[in-house]
Amino acid sequence: MQTDELIAHLSGGLEPVDGREVMRILATGLALGLLGSALLMALTIGVRPDILDAMGGEAFWLKFLYTLAIAMLGLKLVERVGRPGTDATVPALLIAIPVLVLMAMMAMQMMPADGATRHTLLMGHSADVCSVLIAALALPLFGGLFWSLRRLAPTRLTQAGAAAGLLAGSAAATIYAFHCTESTATFIAIWYTAGIALTTGMGAALGRWMLRW
Amino acid sequence: MIPQEAQYRDWMLAALAGDAAAYRMLLQGLTRHLRGYYAKRLGPAAAEDAVQETLIAIHAKRATYDPARPFTAWVYGIARYKLVDEFRRHKRAAAVPLDEAGELFGADETEAASAKRDVEKLLARLPAAKRDLVRAVKLDGRSIAEEAARTGMSETSVKVTVHRALKSLGDELGGSNADR
Repeated sequence: MQTDELIAHLSGGLEPVDGREVMRILATGLALGLLGSALLMALTIGVRPDILDAMGGEAFWLKFLYTLAIAMLGLKLVERVGRPGTDATVPALLIAIPVLVLMAMMAMQMMPADGATRHTLLMGHSADVCSVLIAALALPLFGGLFWSLRRLAPTRLTQAGAAAGLLAGSAAATIYAFHCTESTATFIAIWYTAGIALTTGMGAALGRWMLRW
Repeated sequence: MIPQEAQYRDWMLAALAGDAAAYRMLLQGLTRHLRGYYAKRLGPAAAEDAVQETLIAIHAKRATYDPARPFTAWVYGIARYKLVDEFRRHKRAAAVPLDEAGELFGADETEAASAKRDVEKLLARLPAAKRDLVRAVKLDGRSIAEEAARTGMSETSVKVTVHRALKSLGDELGGSNADR
């Protein structure tokens, strides 16, 4: 086909575009991912039995808000990487804020503690599974977000995959907070962050293969 | 800022609202830049396919343009992505230059193209109807008969209109030279 004909063809059947289209696509993928992830947890490791009591204490909310803050920035990032010619540096840098806040809380817990207490703070009782479970719960979210991104137009696929992985991991961690019985800022700062870092890396590795359009 | 930004962005916003005529002008304008851009990087033979692929991508992904951001950067992002894609497909060394949007929109900046841009600038001084006629007949190579059929004017009046428009531009050009 001649380029002129192509242009005539493309402009001939032009339909108006809804300005909220990008958010609609992202919301669909994210909602499906969250649903899948929540179901996956409910059917496997389950919600902690004392969740209602836990929601009265601050440890639950620390986990919840920490991961939610990263997830909100992650959503902004994914939206940016899904649009060509858009810079995502600012939301990427903002992620440092919740991380640094939690690191500061960790420092305040660790500094006065003696060696044995430090070890308990660091390792809790689930250090060996926490990050891996977060990454596993992130898989349905990966599916949903990659589905969304392929409908948008990511132009830097490794970056886009990393952004999707960050959002998938932080949202999965928010869901995991309903299962996890750890209660210290130190544990969260290390293992939740490690889980999110793991999914971010997975996303970066998968992006260039799975986000082509 | 890229000089074409304001014009292209206006066309894009109109196109997003459903204005097919603005969309057509936009795609025609972008095609010129894309041809230059791909010809330089892929060679003339592969360029036209890449141009068409990019036009299709622009069309399919137009919802991802955020009106709060520069339109030229958006197009450049897509053009560059398609270039990388092309390199990958042909297993060429992935040495995609880290150029910027200016590269794309300077892509037709050969002598001829810059002369063409000057012509466009001049044409902008004409009323829209005359401008379209002059462009169609003198730049796009349409025949007088085609234009007469399109506009519903007689062939003679198309000829006369084009002639007068060119003369008025010529006079104006003479005038502005005399000002110097």
